Amino acid sequence: MPVKPAYTPLPDTYDETFEGELIPRAACEPIAASLLSASPERINELRARADRMFLTMGVTFNVYGDNAGAERIFPFDLVPRVIDAKTWKNLEAGLAQRVRALNAFVADIYGEGKILRDEVVPRDLVCGSPQYRRAAIGIKPPNGVFVTVAGIDLVRDHEGRFMVLEDNVRTPSGVSYVLENRLVMTRLMPDLVRKCGVRSVENYPSDLLASLHEIASPSVARPTAALLTPGPYNSAFFEHVFLSQQMGIELVEGQDLVCVDHKLFMKTVAGLQQVHVLYRRIDDDFLDPLVFRSDSLLGVAGITDAMRAGTVTVANGIGTGVADDKAVFAYTPEMIRYYLAEEPLLPIVETHLLRDADVRKRVIHDLDQFVIKPTGASGGYGVLIGPKATYRELAQMRDAIEKDPAAFIAQPMVQLSAHPTFVGQGSNVALVPRHVDLRPFVLLGSKARVLPGGLTRVALREGSLIVNSSQGGGSKDTWVVDV
Amino acid sequence: MLRRIANHLFWAARNLERAEWRARLVNVNYHLLVESPPQNPQAWAPLLAITGEREVFEERYTSADETSVLTFYTFDDENPSSIRSCIRAARESARALRHRISSELWLELNTLYLDSLSWSPATLDASGIYTFFTELGGRFYRIAGITSDTLTRDPGYDFFMIGKMLERTESVARLLDVKYHFLLPRVEDLGGSVDLLQWAALLRSASALEAYRRVYGNAIEVERVVEMLLFDESFPRSARFSMNRLEASLQRIAALSANGTHQPTEARALASAKLANLLKSIGVTDVIAGGLHQYLLQIEDECANIGEVLSAEYLRFE
Repeated sequence: MPVKPAYTPLPDTYDETFEGELIPRAACEPIAASLLSASPERINELRARADRMFLTMGVTFNVYGDNAGAERIFPFDLVPRVIDAKTWKNLEAGLAQRVRALNAFVADIYGEGKILRDEVVPRDLVCGSPQYRRAAIGIKPPNGVFVTVAGIDLVRDHEGRFMVLEDNVRTPSGVSYVLENRLVMTRLMPDLVRKCGVRSVENYPSDLLASLHEIASPSVARPTAALLTPGPYNSAFFEHVFLSQQMGIELVEGQDLVCVDHKLFMKTVAGLQQVHVLYRRIDDDFLDPLVFRSDSLLGVAGITDAMRAGTVTVANGIGTGVADDKAVFAYTPEMIRYYLAEEPLLPIVETHLLRDADVRKRVIHDLDQFVIKPTGASGGYGVLIGPKATYRELAQMRDAIEKDPAAFIAQPMVQLSAHPTFVGQGSNVALVPRHVDLRPFVLLGSKARVLPGGLTRVALREGSLIVNSSQGGGSKDTWVVDV
Repeated sequence: MLRRIANHLFWAARNLERAEWRARLVNVNYHLLVESPPQNPQAWAPLLAITGEREVFEERYTSADETSVLTFYTFDDENPSSIRSCIRAARESARALRHRISSELWLELNTLYLDSLSWSPATLDASGIYTFFTELGGRFYRIAGITSDTLTRDPGYDFFMIGKMLERTESVARLLDVKYHFLLPRVEDLGGSVDLLQWAALLRSASALEAYRRVYGNAIEVERVVEMLLFDESFPRSARFSMNRLEASLQRIAALSANGTHQPTEARALASAKLANLLKSIGVTDVIAGGLHQYLLQIEDECANIGEVLSAEYLRFE
């Protein structure tokens, strides 16, 4: 049934809410009938209330290089992104499958190295990755879990097919926004949430804690877990506070920890207390000054030894970044077949490695058709979007590729799906299509647990495909609905 | 309980208490000046002596006039003990404590901090010194109320109370010392009308005037004032009251660490016993006869000593 909102979907783009002439998809009907058809006054009122809630709850991220009042709220859009139960069921299975395979890959390359011996993945690609860590060789965590927390970035092409754009298996962030967005939505629109039958996300902290306990040494009856943060100046500090608070575990900094006799301890007022599982939110480079950067004050000296001794499990393990390397990504479907003997349930965005001369030639010839990504960067930095690049930018990229071909990958330009989103202030508020992606979160302990939905990021600038918060992105609540 | 967290709680409380007493000190001095006849251009100088900051002040200010001293104590960012600096430090501690304190406490402290960023001499002119400091005092009461009503009574709370009570004991001593410096130039005024006005102002600044009147009646006598502020066990801002609460928290923490791997040393028990002894065994008559200023200095020394021992025992984590 057509509804009345003044909204024009983008051409040749999958619209998340409407099909055809403003006919809402079945799962989106209640939203289209109420929220999308509300008056501008009502929308402005709801947005103001949402902003106030985020600010008072202190759901903020820190902006580097800014001083007083450097905490900002992450822009939030009122229109929820809806995924129906059937679509989610497939996604959930594909995500769990993917993370199991990525985990098996990390365990293998720092263990026996079978996949390298069988030449399914080239050895030089793995060992030459900037994320490969020799120090991880021989560390065997309980249950074989290296990747406890994964964030898998998905996009949807013009036909609405979900595909993997990249994996995040180091210290993925953003899950606190999923939980806080939901809290705000249930306060703002309780009736709509109830009417749609939205699946709860509330269990994430307890699922995370359960996963952490499951990867502790089995010899410890009641393991003590702690969350390691770089401190209040880190951009994700709010999330660290939030998760430790929700899980009821200590939030520690490097200076709170000490290793004695290959064991990890926290310095408490009653003396030293042993830590059995450390959920760390700092990079490998800063984790252990004896092994990695010796100038790091954020980590704790000797923790790698303690991991090797099996007295502490660190989540995620050291060197997991090799599994989310942008070049290794091209081999992920093969990994799933190799380790699980299953066909991948989720396709990936086609990825070309430019170290191959023939591929390179073809890509350079049609450079303006591709998206070029540096293998060593994250957060959307250094990405060239061929169809939108200037002549000069293309020429510079050609030179850069020729100079160091292995440092880049090429992917076809995916026309990301779009979602109705409110933009503009006051009387100028309008409902417009904006591109979105999806970062679901997967936990791996003795089993895989997938958080229903995930973080929907939206590129708030017109025409933009970059959803990163550092580059003008916002977020939406994501609803898995049982219709 | 992490040492770093205990340390932050201790210092958050100290800094808040210090900011509050700074506001009280400035306010009482202001009132003493308003109500004392001679116009002395250096009238604010004694305050600098009391807080031990004359040298720091003179590095950057040419004269101890009202505007300079008010600026120095209220919003000078280079003075680590200015009210604004204390609020900033407390708020920085609270940032690291957000997972342990209530969101209400964080919100209140964060709002006070954000408001303090816009303070300037113009703010004082606009609202008037009395209104400014009275409203500021109200903010501190709100924080105290939220703390008392929302923090779990765990060892963290004890460390918070230790910081607060240690700072309070020291501050009561300092406040009485203001009076000592004012008395010094004209001993013959002792007991005169000006003097009484000043003692009344001092009591008011410790929120003690009404309590004093209830206990001792209308006549303001120096001995009774000192008795009330130092030795009264029921008045919440007296040194002895603060010391009793300090002791209670210290004992709970000692019991806690007795169960852990860390055995407390004799030093802590000794340090607090010395302060307790000082506040319990001497009567007000002896204190005044022996020299109030000397006695107050002794209290401050013992407080500093407790702070050092405590830090070594429980809070240092490097």
